Amino acid sequence: MKTVRLYLRSMKMLMKCQLEYPFSFFLQTLAQLVMEGGEMMAVILIIDRFDRVNQWEAGDLFFFFGIMSVTFYLTECFGRGITGNFPYLIRTGQLDTILLRPRGVLTQVLCSAVDPRRITCIAVGTVSMVIGCNLARVQWTVLKVLAMAEAVLLGAVLILALFVIEAIFCIYSVKSVELVNALSYGGRSACEYPIDIYPRPLRILFTAIAPFALVLHVPAAYILGKPLYGWPEWTAFVCPLAGAVFFGLIYLAFQKAMRFYRSTGS
Amino acid sequence: MRSYLSAFRLRRKMELQYRGAMLGGIICQVVFGLILIALYRALYAGKPQALPLQHVVTYVWLQQAFFRMLLASDPDLLDKIRSGSIAYDLCRPLNLYGFYYARIMAQKITGSLMRAVPMLLFASLLPQGWGISLPASLPALLLSLLALMLGLLCVSALENITMAFTMRTLDPRGIQAMLNLLMMTLSGNILPLTLFPDSWQKVITLLPYAQLLDAPIRLYTGDVPVGEAWRILLIQAVWIAVLIALGVWLWNRHQKRIVLQGG
Amino acid sequence: MSYIHVDHLQKTFIVRKKRETGRLLREKETVFALRDLSFVIEKGELVGYIGPNGAGKSTTVKILSGILTPDSGNVSVDGRIPWESRREHVRNIGVVFGQRMQLWWDVPILDSYGLLKEIYRIPDADYRQRLKELTEALQLENLLRTPLRQLSLGQRMRAELCGSLLHRPGLLFLDEPTIGLDAVSKLALRDFLRWENREHGTTILLTTHDMEDIAALCSRVMVLGHGQKLYDGDLPALLEKYDTSRTVTVRFEDPETMPALPEEASLSREGDLVKVVYAPGQIPTPEILEKLQQAGTIREMTIQPQNIDVLIAAMYREMDL
Repeated sequence: MKTVRLYLRSMKMLMKCQLEYPFSFFLQTLAQLVMEGGEMMAVILIIDRFDRVNQWEAGDLFFFFGIMSVTFYLTECFGRGITGNFPYLIRTGQLDTILLRPRGVLTQVLCSAVDPRRITCIAVGTVSMVIGCNLARVQWTVLKVLAMAEAVLLGAVLILALFVIEAIFCIYSVKSVELVNALSYGGRSACEYPIDIYPRPLRILFTAIAPFALVLHVPAAYILGKPLYGWPEWTAFVCPLAGAVFFGLIYLAFQKAMRFYRSTGS
Repeated sequence: MRSYLSAFRLRRKMELQYRGAMLGGIICQVVFGLILIALYRALYAGKPQALPLQHVVTYVWLQQAFFRMLLASDPDLLDKIRSGSIAYDLCRPLNLYGFYYARIMAQKITGSLMRAVPMLLFASLLPQGWGISLPASLPALLLSLLALMLGLLCVSALENITMAFTMRTLDPRGIQAMLNLLMMTLSGNILPLTLFPDSWQKVITLLPYAQLLDAPIRLYTGDVPVGEAWRILLIQAVWIAVLIALGVWLWNRHQKRIVLQGG
Repeated sequence: MSYIHVDHLQKTFIVRKKRETGRLLREKETVFALRDLSFVIEKGELVGYIGPNGAGKSTTVKILSGILTPDSGNVSVDGRIPWESRREHVRNIGVVFGQRMQLWWDVPILDSYGLLKEIYRIPDADYRQRLKELTEALQLENLLRTPLRQLSLGQRMRAELCGSLLHRPGLLFLDEPTIGLDAVSKLALRDFLRWENREHGTTILLTTHDMEDIAALCSRVMVLGHGQKLYDGDLPALLEKYDTSRTVTVRFEDPETMPALPEEASLSREGDLVKVVYAPGQIPTPEILEKLQQAGTIREMTIQPQNIDVLIAAMYREMDL
């Protein structure tokens, strides 16, 4: 697909730029490693002190942490255009330049930035997942692999959608953008652990509103052999679609926001 | 002295301008707090600990409320360096170290107080087991406030040192990021230090990063009884002395350097 | 059917003023950017678009390019409504802003062009040919591997121009392209635009403050003031009609020279320069020049037309606005 080609080409060009200053890049990537390492260390220390939460044991917890990390940071790496660059595009008027080109707005926004420094965070997440799989003695099947791929992919879609909400706030000049951070970064922090340990309000928040639980936890629990709430196997493949539905709704709102942007100018 | 006050006032004015953002930030911080507490409650339900859950809850709220004090962030600085107007600062007839010290402290105090008060108010209204608890005793409260001040002095001195390095390298991202990182992990923000293994705690609580929030919080909750408070205050005082001395020395060296380079 | 058809265009902006101390809400001010603007441009024209700051020129260009929607009125460009068929419309236009760069900053401009090729889906052979043609005409061959940030302003403008024409748009909008350029670059740019217009029939709308740009390039000029079209015709007629003052600055061989001028002309001295301000309507320029030459040997002389803003002000006075 031509869109994919455009995206890949943009990524290649952007990465070439970023790697022009390898030392600075290395330092920042290292900093990310320490940061995410710190987060993982928290999980390790918690497991060290508490052993388990409800039915979830050490291996399960590592797996949940890992899959969330990998998904989130993959999105922040390749979706940086939306996750971090949008305010800059508006401020510098580059959004106008985007409107002057014959491609979709979100497509071009996605192509505008990349954050390869996240690679260490993704690595940490992967390590955590591997440790978790081993400790939990996961029996891998083709279906489970598919479930995981689907979870990560639709998880990325969900997270992108949350940042598109931020972009929409930006367009309408709403000052309290940090509210959305409660959903995106709060969601990440909360859903590093299985959703069913939390009280009802939080469960509803991250199942019905920002459906991290549906997209990541249901498949993860299925893979670990401890289905969430005891739900049947097919839910591991159907629930993640909530991420796509969520994205669809947000996309409609984004288009409306763009219509607004074009009526008020910069 | 007047110039330090004006730095304060300017900072407060700037922060007030971003009212909307601040409200969103407060809500975000509160949601984070609630999530963390929900997690610890679930953990404690499975395996109760010697350390009372309430202490952990209080710990989380105090960390979230004063979160702004942790981070080193001076967005102006980056622009100032780029535009070269930093040279004006260097020409001013002020004690440069003191000037930046006051500036850093002003940023931290104004940034956090305006958020901490509403947050703590909200936290105090929450039901038992979720909300912040009262201090262990009046002396405990007073001592924790003292420790907070000292911790603030300590971390500001630390940040002032990194600022000296920033002046030199002209790229604040790397060194500031490093400092932020260490602060985040070792200050008890990601995971309360009181939940770290005991052996680890012995070392980490000696480091300057733990002095800002972990130290005062322990006094507040009574984890460290009033009688033992002097240990904490002593560690803080030592670090303040060391970091200020180091900072002043570095700044003096840099000042000569920069003057020599001709700005 | 005209190429560009603008009919009764209207656009207002609501601007929030800075919050005053003590007030809770910001005051809102309505700015009438465009009022009942109408004009027609045929294919292949090279039109100048001038007016004082805030007249609405940029607003017009934004509406015509489809990134801004008007409050009322009709616009048709090549049979399309710009803001409704954004992608199809935008495929056929090129835009160059004088102040804002559209190419990527840190990347060799050739890489930027490669990405534009992808964005505009330009076929390989077409791209190669067009790139060759443009880089030759704009003398960019040696700069292709240089990132935009390392180029001088004149070079950047040329690079931008090339980028905006790679996809062979039928319509080109230029917003203050010569601003900040040195004299040589300005001339080169004007030559190029003339060539592009002649060679490929590209319709060009040139927004500028520089009257020399207009004089060199445009047979037709539209004047915009306070959101309204004040004039639409050729430049000489415009100058003749509204040009109420001209300034001639002379340096004589002998600094003490005092020319004998008619009463209506005002004479002043600045150092060793002699300044003559007169109204070409009252005293024809040749007469002034003759008198000056009679006064003594001239070492240097410049003739300045009126400032465009003063010209517009004169137009307003004439139209009782």
